[in-house]
Amino acid sequence: MIRFEKRESTSTSLKILIPTVSIILGILIGAVAILLKGINPIKVYQALLIGAYSSKYTFSETLVAATPLILISAGLIVVFKMNFWNIGAYGQYIMGAIFSSYFAIFWSPHIPKVIMLTVMVIAGMVGGALWAIIPALLKAYWEVNEVISTLLLNYIALFVLKFLMYGTWRDPLSHGFPLSKPFPNNAQLPRIIPHTRVNLGLIFGIIAVFVVWYLLKKTKFGYEIRVIGENPNAARYAGMNVAKNIIIAMIISGALAGLAGMVQVSGIIHLLQIKINPDYGYTAIIVAWLAYLDPIVASFFAVFLGGLASGAYQIQITMQVPFGIVGVIESAILFVLIGSEIFMRYRLVFDVGKKKHSGQEETL
Amino acid sequence: MAEYILQARNITKKFPGVLANDHINFDLKKGEIHTILGENGAGKSTLMNILDGIYYPNEGEIYINGKKANIRSPFDSMRYGIGMIHQHFMLVDTLTVLENVILGLKDQSFFINKKQIADKIIEISDKYKFDLKPFAKIWQLSVGEQQRVEIVKMLFRGADILILDEPTAVLTPQESEALFEILKKMKSEGKSIIFISHKLNEVMEISDRITVLRKGKVIGTVNKEETNPVELAKMMVGREVLFRLQRKPLERGEEVLKVENVEAYNDRGIKVLNKIGFTVHKGEIFGLAGVAGNGQKELAQVITGLRKATSGKVFLLGKDITNQHPLVIANSGTNYIPPDRLKVGLIPNLSSIDNAILRRYRKNPIGSGILVNYKKAREYTESLIEKFNIMVPRIDAPVKLLSGGNMQKLLLAREISENPALLIAVHPTRGLDIGATEFIRKKLLEVRDSGMAVLLISEDLDEILMISDRIGVIYEGRITGIMDAKDADVHKIGLLMAGSTEEESATVH
Ligand SMILES: Nc1ncnc2c1ncn2[C@@H]1O[C@H](COP(=O)(O)OP(=O)(O)OP(=O)(O)O)[C@@H](O)[C@H]1O
Ligand SMILES: [Mg+2]
Repeated sequence: MIRFEKRESTSTSLKILIPTVSIILGILIGAVAILLKGINPIKVYQALLIGAYSSKYTFSETLVAATPLILISAGLIVVFKMNFWNIGAYGQYIMGAIFSSYFAIFWSPHIPKVIMLTVMVIAGMVGGALWAIIPALLKAYWEVNEVISTLLLNYIALFVLKFLMYGTWRDPLSHGFPLSKPFPNNAQLPRIIPHTRVNLGLIFGIIAVFVVWYLLKKTKFGYEIRVIGENPNAARYAGMNVAKNIIIAMIISGALAGLAGMVQVSGIIHLLQIKINPDYGYTAIIVAWLAYLDPIVASFFAVFLGGLASGAYQIQITMQVPFGIVGVIESAILFVLIGSEIFMRYRLVFDVGKKKHSGQEETL
Repeated sequence: MAEYILQARNITKKFPGVLANDHINFDLKKGEIHTILGENGAGKSTLMNILDGIYYPNEGEIYINGKKANIRSPFDSMRYGIGMIHQHFMLVDTLTVLENVILGLKDQSFFINKKQIADKIIEISDKYKFDLKPFAKIWQLSVGEQQRVEIVKMLFRGADILILDEPTAVLTPQESEALFEILKKMKSEGKSIIFISHKLNEVMEISDRITVLRKGKVIGTVNKEETNPVELAKMMVGREVLFRLQRKPLERGEEVLKVENVEAYNDRGIKVLNKIGFTVHKGEIFGLAGVAGNGQKELAQVITGLRKATSGKVFLLGKDITNQHPLVIANSGTNYIPPDRLKVGLIPNLSSIDNAILRRYRKNPIGSGILVNYKKAREYTESLIEKFNIMVPRIDAPVKLLSGGNMQKLLLAREISENPALLIAVHPTRGLDIGATEFIRKKLLEVRDSGMAVLLISEDLDEILMISDRIGVIYEGRITGIMDAKDADVHKIGLLMAGSTEEESATVH
């Protein structure tokens, strides 16, 4: 017999146990899915591990996938802390990519690289932030539910991207494919590990993690966010400006998602296209929650989930397992994680000899 | 043996850093009202939570009707016929009475027969003259009504042993009287009741036996007939408690707060302040008496900027602060102890430090530039804890782990320490033990002597009479009478609280 008992307080060991269990269960559910395809899951996972971590190159690809996750989850943590459910990193990422690509596509390739990249970084952040301000304002002044507004804006962002790619931003030399002209060298983020695709974006990510950590732990803004997230009544009572904080937090969150979009087009793809992997915006939600909203811990989970993605590219080729399997594993992890929220508040009680006890009770 | 319906043997419960229950032995007779008495943090709620299955003891056994019981969850305790009303209610605000009653029922069939359940709720409610509407939402109910929902919930589940953890702390005297009638009725039907309260007069009125806890240990169990409040207080605190406070003569200074013809509406859109007006001066405690729900809460909110006045004016030190931002009002010298500590005053999941600095994090030295200096914040919190004698498990443990009284002390400590021109205190000693109550009242008198203007809003007439310099009575959102404390008596105030005007009450007198 298993039952729940209310916990006296949430222990740290649980904060380790639950993500671990979530990941293991996610992997098991993935295994079932692979089995259904008639493939040996152990072999697949082996290949996946090799594909993600075995060599310097494969690990570098893991870091490449982790970079946007680190950036986005750092921003999401800020808004999640105040119970604002931004699931619009997807759209903010796309907007960041579009805004920064404008300069790569339409500005002269002879502008000094430092200037060009600085402008693109700022543009990416502005693009993401603008897209994030919309739901923040809607929430702050008209109480529009942010889950719905951010989700809808994701679709709109994708349409804007498609509109541009099939329209004026398409490269005339692309034979009709929805691709922009390739970014000139001055618009490409420099690589930081030779012969790999790991670029300056990773450094941006590390900086972002520490900035967010500092913001949350040390500043008045971080304090206010905590109070607002935990008890908005107390925040108003103390005279905090809840609307202002929602807007600032969303600007930060959107800017980092936008920067991730910029890093992807400028550091990896080197052009703008329809497929720029905005799904990182959803995966980053899982990263943030696995880490219980701790930005430093989150960066490690970003590497883990990044490895899952990059490893999956390998197995897709070598073992004919569809890339979608990563989606299955990720969603299973998220599902278990949300389900186990209940474990944070209740203790699981395994009762041995329960039968006897209840039998005895009948006589009462 | 059958005389005892419940026996607890050697119950021990340790929390990190605290021994909350230390080998407690406790017996409940069938059909008695048994009060547990003890200072804040003595371990009363912990013991009750163990009986209710919320906590599991480190050691000890519980026997029900002489048989050993294995209580590991509220479901188990329900099966043993134990029901509990917690110190802080556990109702879901947005659900209806009916939904709250069936919430958490174990043997609920898949299809819920609402009609049948509603009938049963009405039946129970009629029996005790509750007048509950099964389909009303919880947030629409007064605190007293919410408590009745909790009682119905217990009875619905067939509880024979009822535990009420400080039920009267949130009630008006009238509501408390009504509750006692209910308890007596339940007792006459053979139900056994465990009751917790800090108010000794209530304890003397309602109990059959009294068990006193101190620092997690049982000091003794006495029959009501064989004891008196002074002895109980001594058992509880371990020393003589003075029920009398020393006060200096009034040195009434300039006008600090002036409320002029203020009108305002409550959350349900009903006008609850009706051209109310009064003043509070430097160096005085102005006690505002009244039955709960006559606009006291809204008045405090209007003064502090948390609610809009639709007409009228509020002046602080001559400056018009009507409908200013709460922060502006706070900075011009107003502090506020709200009635609902867990919903408004404190942030339950955050640490004592985070809670202590709520008024200070913007100001030097705790706030510096865009940063919060947490080292200074910790020092400040430590100083509050020491000065106000607050018991915390750890300084960075969430405040929801503090005992009720200690939460209140922390809130008070934070607000008083701002040294404002005007302190608004709503039920400042609610839920405090006698020692802490004495301490807080002394503090209020102390800040009054130092020149603070204090607006004391309380339903506890004894408290108002004990420490106020002037007393105003609020009824249906207006002041029905203001008098000097020395001219006041309970009878006169009682009449005013019931709505008669000063002239009428004078003639009756
Ligand atoms: N879950 C917990 N974790 C850690 N400490 C706790 C927990 N619950 C209670 N305590 C501590 O145990 C002690 C007893 O608390 P308890 O709530 O039982 O006191 P109480 O007698 O009900 O006081 P009050 O009259 O203020 O309600 C306190 O020091 C409290 O801080
Ligand atoms: Mg208690």
